[in-house]
Amino acid sequence: MRGTLIYIGQRLVLIAITTVLVSSIVFVLLHQIPGNAFLNETRQSPQTLAAELHHYGLDLPLQQQYLNWVQGVLRGDLGESLVNRGVKITPLLIRETTVSATVGFFALLVTVGLGLILGVIAALRQNTWVDYAASSTAVVGYSIPSFVIAIFGLLIFGHYLYIWTQGTFFYQPGWGKIEQIPVPALALGLPYASYVARLTRASMLETIRTDYVRTAWAKGLKARVVVMRHALRNALIPVVTILGPLVTGIITGSVVIENIFGIPGLGKEFITSILARDYNIVIGVFTFYAALVGLANLAVDVIYPVLDPRIRY
Amino acid sequence: MPGGTLNAVDGISFDVDRGEIVGIVGESGSGKTMTALSLLRLIPEPGKITSGKILYGEQDVVQMSDEEIREFRGNEVAMIFQDPMTSLNPVLRVGFQVEEAMAAHNRFTRQQARDRVIPMLQRVRIPAAKDRVRDYPHQFSGGMRQRAMIAMGVSNEPSLLIADEPTTALDVTVQASIIELLRDISRELRAAVILITHNMALVASLCNRVIVMYAGRIVEEGPTRAIFKNPQHPYTWSLLRSMPRVDETTRERLISIKGLPPDLGKMPPGCKFHPRCKFRVDRCLTEEPPLAEVDPGQDARCWVLMKNVQNPEAIAQT
Ligand SMILES: Nc1ncnc2c1ncn2[C@@H]1O[C@H](COP(=O)(O)OP(=O)(O)OP(=O)(O)O)[C@@H](O)[C@H]1O
Ligand code: SF4
Ligand SMILES: [Mg+2]
Repeated sequence: MRGTLIYIGQRLVLIAITTVLVSSIVFVLLHQIPGNAFLNETRQSPQTLAAELHHYGLDLPLQQQYLNWVQGVLRGDLGESLVNRGVKITPLLIRETTVSATVGFFALLVTVGLGLILGVIAALRQNTWVDYAASSTAVVGYSIPSFVIAIFGLLIFGHYLYIWTQGTFFYQPGWGKIEQIPVPALALGLPYASYVARLTRASMLETIRTDYVRTAWAKGLKARVVVMRHALRNALIPVVTILGPLVTGIITGSVVIENIFGIPGLGKEFITSILARDYNIVIGVFTFYAALVGLANLAVDVIYPVLDPRIRY
Repeated sequence: MPGGTLNAVDGISFDVDRGEIVGIVGESGSGKTMTALSLLRLIPEPGKITSGKILYGEQDVVQMSDEEIREFRGNEVAMIFQDPMTSLNPVLRVGFQVEEAMAAHNRFTRQQARDRVIPMLQRVRIPAAKDRVRDYPHQFSGGMRQRAMIAMGVSNEPSLLIADEPTTALDVTVQASIIELLRDISRELRAAVILITHNMALVASLCNRVIVMYAGRIVEEGPTRAIFKNPQHPYTWSLLRSMPRVDETTRERLISIKGLPPDLGKMPPGCKFHPRCKFRVDRCLTEEPPLAEVDPGQDARCWVLMKNVQNPEAIAQT
């Protein structure tokens, strides 16, 4: 237990370092872009421009700007929006992250839940039509990128089923109603669900042939217990291994999905801020993504030892 | 296996009485494990029991419903497998795996099952059992795991215990103590034991009766004493000839007879042993001999029988 806590502590430090590193790289690269965020503002007197630059500290030498920025990050202050003066970035992004996290969580639920169910059923009914159906569904799901699923989702639920959905899914202003979640979560999670299903099937086929599962049968355990407690528990171990990359994939995928569905999350902000050349927000978004990917992977790694007692940190 | 049936084990029938230890011996691949698994209807896919009966008391294991066979497994008949390193579930605590075996049947309540775990582990002589119940299998040595398997096997006080080469995978230093434990515990429970082994010396010292298997068939069976004194099947005779001396009981020397046992897909016609048999006659090539009584209680599957061979040593040398 103590070992685990130390391990988590070490990982958190590493995540912090990575986050600062990523945001620094983005900071430096963005400041290499010639000109600045205000150059395109046409009706702007040289005085206002100078005042703007001064307000954001953009008139300082780059080294100084960088130091100010790092100090801010360490205090958890990502500065102010360049476009909407006075809007603090940190609280804005935290709010947007909760939105993204909600969608991402449900996408993960789709991925793992659906993937496991399909995989287990396919393995238990190996080489029957059930297996073929589950496996083909998986292949199809895997070969369709999530943005295609998203567009079909829009078409079906936003257009064909408009009478039923009343457009609640996408068109109404404001976000956060429970009925707005399933379609984007499905679009985001489905391709990965197929991946999990295929892995689970292979893994289950392996474990149901192991000696300890034979022991479980020989003990006279009920079929459900043999499958769930003995075969599936062990089959989950390799599945958890890919959960890290999977979560990262969902986070990246959410950029596209949020923009298609107009979900006011981090992914939407990412594109919006780039188009608006709100560089401070762009850097902030990268910083958040770096931290998010790190934390999600840490969460996955903490599940390991719970599942497999042979692993100890 | 494209179509058709491969008979891994064919026409096996034998009976075991309470308190008796029966040894099954034979080369690797002779169907010993298959026979043992079929007693519990645990033949791995796509194998199955194509015909025949497995009688246990009045019940036919082949005819049992799924629920009946589940109640039967681990309760009436328990099995201990060859490799304790892989036979325990790596992600579940050892104590829980023993508890689960008891809770699966209606002999004990959940609470009784829980309370019996430590006494069971003590009974199979696991040191510091109280502290070790919460260990995972990887924290146990091979010998301790096999003890845990035995605890699991006998926890429901079955009337038949099948031990499939229970010591082959273990360190020589612990083999003897495991065998001793098996013998003692089966005596206490008055359970019958089927001991599958390669070790003829072990059979000589432990078993009341022996079954010798070859190519999925019983080729000879009878009281240990009779078989060791007067083996009638040439295969049994050769096995005993290649046997290590009695003072080497802990050595599990592999049985070695010239040639290889037949491939399941290419069984020879006639007597399955004839390609390797020094004593064969013409009839052996075409007709398979039945298992027939050669002495009261002793059966052999051979047209010739060793008692009819003059000076077998000389012939075997050729
Ligand atoms: N899963 C399987 N599928 C097909 N054939 C199998 C399978 N398992 C075993 N066999 C075959 O069945 C025959 C009997 O094997 P079995 O394992 O019963 O032999 P054994 O006497 O226990 O050998 P060993 O001493 O090596 O344990 C062998 O020829 C083996 O190749
Ligand atoms: S039947 Fe013939 S071939 Fe078979 S064991 Fe007897 S003598 Fe040898
Ligand atoms: Mg075997």
